[in-house]
Amino acid sequence: MNDEHKDWLAYMDAQSRDKQMLFMNGIARKLNRPRVTEPPSHPFRGAPDFWQTFQWTEQERIEKFTDNFRSAGGHVLRLADMAEVRQFITDKSAEMSVKYVIRQNEPELDALNLESALPEVKILVWNSNSEQHWKACAAEADFGVVVADYAAAYTGSITVLSSKDKGRTVSLLPTVLIAILPVERIKTRLGEILADFDDAGGAHLPAGIHFISGPSRSADIENDLTIGVHGPGVVYALIVG
Amino acid sequence: MSGTDISASSTVKERADLALNNEFLRQAVRFTTERLRSGKMTAAEQHGNWEEWRERGRQIRLHTIAHLDYYLNLFADNARANGVHVHFADTAQEAVNISLQIAERKKAHTVVKSKSMVTEELHLNHALESIGVEAVETDLGEYIIQLAGETPSHIIIPAIHKNRYQIAELLSVEAGETLPADTAILAGFVRRKLRQKFLEADIGMTGCNFAVAETGSMVLFENEGNARMVTTVPKTQITLMGMERIVPTWADLEVMATLLPRSATGQKLTVYMSGITGPRREEDADGPEEMHIIIVDNGRSLQLGDPEFQELLNCIRCGACLNACPVYRHIGGHAYGGTYSGPIGAVLTPALNKNVAEWDDIANASSLCGACYEACPVKIPLHEMLIYLRRRKVENGHGSKLESLGMKGFAAVMAKSGRFNGMLKLGKWGQKLVVRDGGIKVKLGPLKGWNSYRIAPSLPKKSFRDGWRTLEEEIRHGLKDMDPAVKSRMEAAIKKRAEGASHSHER
Amino acid sequence: MRVSLFITCMSDAIYPRVGEAMVRLLARYGVQLDFPKVQTCCGQPAFNSGYWEEARTTAKTILEAFDGSDFVISPSGSCVGMIHHYPKLFEHDPVLHSKAIELQKKTYEFSQFLVHVLGVTDVGAAFPHRVTYHPSCHGSRLLGIKDEPMELMRNVKGMEFVPLPFAEDCCGFGGTFAVKMADISGAMVSEKSDHVKETEAEVLVGLDMACLMNIAGNLRYRNEPVRVMHLAELLYEGVKQA
Repeated sequence: MNDEHKDWLAYMDAQSRDKQMLFMNGIARKLNRPRVTEPPSHPFRGAPDFWQTFQWTEQERIEKFTDNFRSAGGHVLRLADMAEVRQFITDKSAEMSVKYVIRQNEPELDALNLESALPEVKILVWNSNSEQHWKACAAEADFGVVVADYAAAYTGSITVLSSKDKGRTVSLLPTVLIAILPVERIKTRLGEILADFDDAGGAHLPAGIHFISGPSRSADIENDLTIGVHGPGVVYALIVG
Repeated sequence: MSGTDISASSTVKERADLALNNEFLRQAVRFTTERLRSGKMTAAEQHGNWEEWRERGRQIRLHTIAHLDYYLNLFADNARANGVHVHFADTAQEAVNISLQIAERKKAHTVVKSKSMVTEELHLNHALESIGVEAVETDLGEYIIQLAGETPSHIIIPAIHKNRYQIAELLSVEAGETLPADTAILAGFVRRKLRQKFLEADIGMTGCNFAVAETGSMVLFENEGNARMVTTVPKTQITLMGMERIVPTWADLEVMATLLPRSATGQKLTVYMSGITGPRREEDADGPEEMHIIIVDNGRSLQLGDPEFQELLNCIRCGACLNACPVYRHIGGHAYGGTYSGPIGAVLTPALNKNVAEWDDIANASSLCGACYEACPVKIPLHEMLIYLRRRKVENGHGSKLESLGMKGFAAVMAKSGRFNGMLKLGKWGQKLVVRDGGIKVKLGPLKGWNSYRIAPSLPKKSFRDGWRTLEEEIRHGLKDMDPAVKSRMEAAIKKRAEGASHSHER
Repeated sequence: MRVSLFITCMSDAIYPRVGEAMVRLLARYGVQLDFPKVQTCCGQPAFNSGYWEEARTTAKTILEAFDGSDFVISPSGSCVGMIHHYPKLFEHDPVLHSKAIELQKKTYEFSQFLVHVLGVTDVGAAFPHRVTYHPSCHGSRLLGIKDEPMELMRNVKGMEFVPLPFAEDCCGFGGTFAVKMADISGAMVSEKSDHVKETEAEVLVGLDMACLMNIAGNLRYRNEPVRVMHLAELLYEGVKQA
């Protein structure tokens, strides 16, 4: 970023801070009361009480997640261990004549050793060097392989968080998304996952938090469902453990 | 007939008449709203305890708006701490100016946009084009109406009024070849076309479904993945958000995430729900390098402190009121003439525009049936707000002269039962000229509109009050004693009432 | 105990048979209705159109009429719903405001009174016809009257009940809306009649004569031979037949 642009941003930020004060004062004035600067008591925070204690057993969580993810058009497989994951990816690659796989840079995925399982396939590890144009790589990939950070059984959603080693585009640009989901990461409710973000606070949140509930879809043409509009059209959730 | 033609007409009645004569539009709107409406009902039923969730959603929204200065300030501070450049815009013009300045600074050629009602409200695409920046809508429905040169006719299904043949025609022009009217093929074409745009674009522009005050995060709900593209691929992200989009915490977001997708489409959650907290971290290999959030007032703060309209800011833009509305169903979105259509549009458009006279007439396009209130996941009493709008119009002297005269006459007659009775007698005498077989068919005067679709009833020989004395005599004569059980129930009801209970569960 | 009939201007002028059916039906339980003649109109046409000053003028006749009543019963959910607006309408007049609250508490729509106050769900009627039901918006949505008419109808012997498709959709009446936005209203009522026709019912029943006048007018315009009745009429006729 050049200095001139930096200066401009600094100028805009300074202006914005002044404006912020006027803006908030204006709100308080319209609400006919002084500015509220202390945290107000918030008696209705979050979901209703009866919901906060709602829990499924692990078996129910697996079943409900599977049902919900499938009914949104996703695929779910229950696999015993990472060896089966490796076998699944190998078989799928052959079946779909895959040429190019991109995966997150995580130890569980290193351990799969896909390079030796798929010698014919180009396999890229996210952000493993600073020279690559990583977004373009993800856009060309047939498979994107990620490990889910969470899942919510009630809505049939997996959650992926971004980091240096976990690209946002890996779960977005490839044609097929394969998400490995360790069974203990499946929660019952969305709220159990969201609570962690409140606890972490803004400074410790990743730039991107993405809940994914099946393949990309649209019903914008005559309410007729189309799969794979911009994001992956095929999504596998591989429940492991 | 295109939506542009509809919007160009001046009154809501004229625009509605155009829509009513467009059988295709009516069928398309009816078909889709019915599906969405039944999807919502099924989803709410499956989820269970819907009323408790609605009430919780309402409480969270009420609380947030009542403390908006605190939460919005907190959001702005936290977003800034995350590295976001936060801006405040009092007016549409200010918001546009800030957006254009950023685009100019970044020497942008192309902006890719995900669906955002607030940018529609600001007419931002036009503004970008005026400085030579190409603005590309990337939501499939928005892309279609952008090609058609129209505005969205539904909050969540912008191209609800178009069929696949019209869409195929529009996309064929873009493709330079004839595309078949097949949804999968059409969507496939758009995917390829827009994939290129995403990768080329300098700026990604989004709206904001919710902004979490305590962490400074902005949250987007979508199904296609285009909003993820827009917030991940280009180097600069600009988010425009209405100042009321705030929720205090992620815990509160769970309630909104429960209500919004179910109310909008009947989904348990949209395919993607993304929480974006600042630009990419230095070590990240994707995500925008620079992120701006422009917080827009543009008439919203006019509702603050107004007891009749403040709840309007609770709206989460789900579109459920459109799908439930029997008027929307027949006239579609463009007849409302503003960015927002349906019941929410009929109230929001005048409200954002300081209730100026030119927007007031859309408040008349409602039978006040209350379906919008019943459908609303945060219980906004839109049907009552429509009446308040009408009242303000009258109070401000913008009422129609004829109607005003009529209402004065009505009040004069109804102020005294004797006058009412006299009027009925006059009516019975007068109707002799026009009654045939106990009905009135003539299409004259005030009966013109009514009798274009109906036969009006005639007045009977005796009104109820005329026959009352005879009826009362007869009843008194044969009346039996009140059943003691009935009597004690009635006494109990009176007692309960004295203790302050109200018997109806109306709002 | 004073139980008063709030007839509504429409039933008074056009459908006195509805009031008569209510009076005769309730008399069977020893409830004698009285009819304060100073009542005219609840003021809804003016209120909904934004003419609140005019609405207050006519609403005062209602407040005056029922000042001494213990219960007020009306054949219209919509007009009862208007009474629920009175506290807002008179919010700046402390005396009338408290009267308005009192009136709201003691006013019942016909089926509400029968089911909730008298505890009657079976009036002992027989009505051997195919019947469908239109739930009027204000009664069902604003007053929450949903189960009451269903319960009353379930207990009518020999009656074949056919659910109305899209029953909860507004018929398009909306007071002055039907005149001001005649074509939209016309489209709505035409659709309602289509649904009534689909049921092949002989009788359309409801709880609000305004909506029923609207639908009946359209059915007649289209020459559809469907009889349109208020539930009170149906029940009373059924009692006579049983």
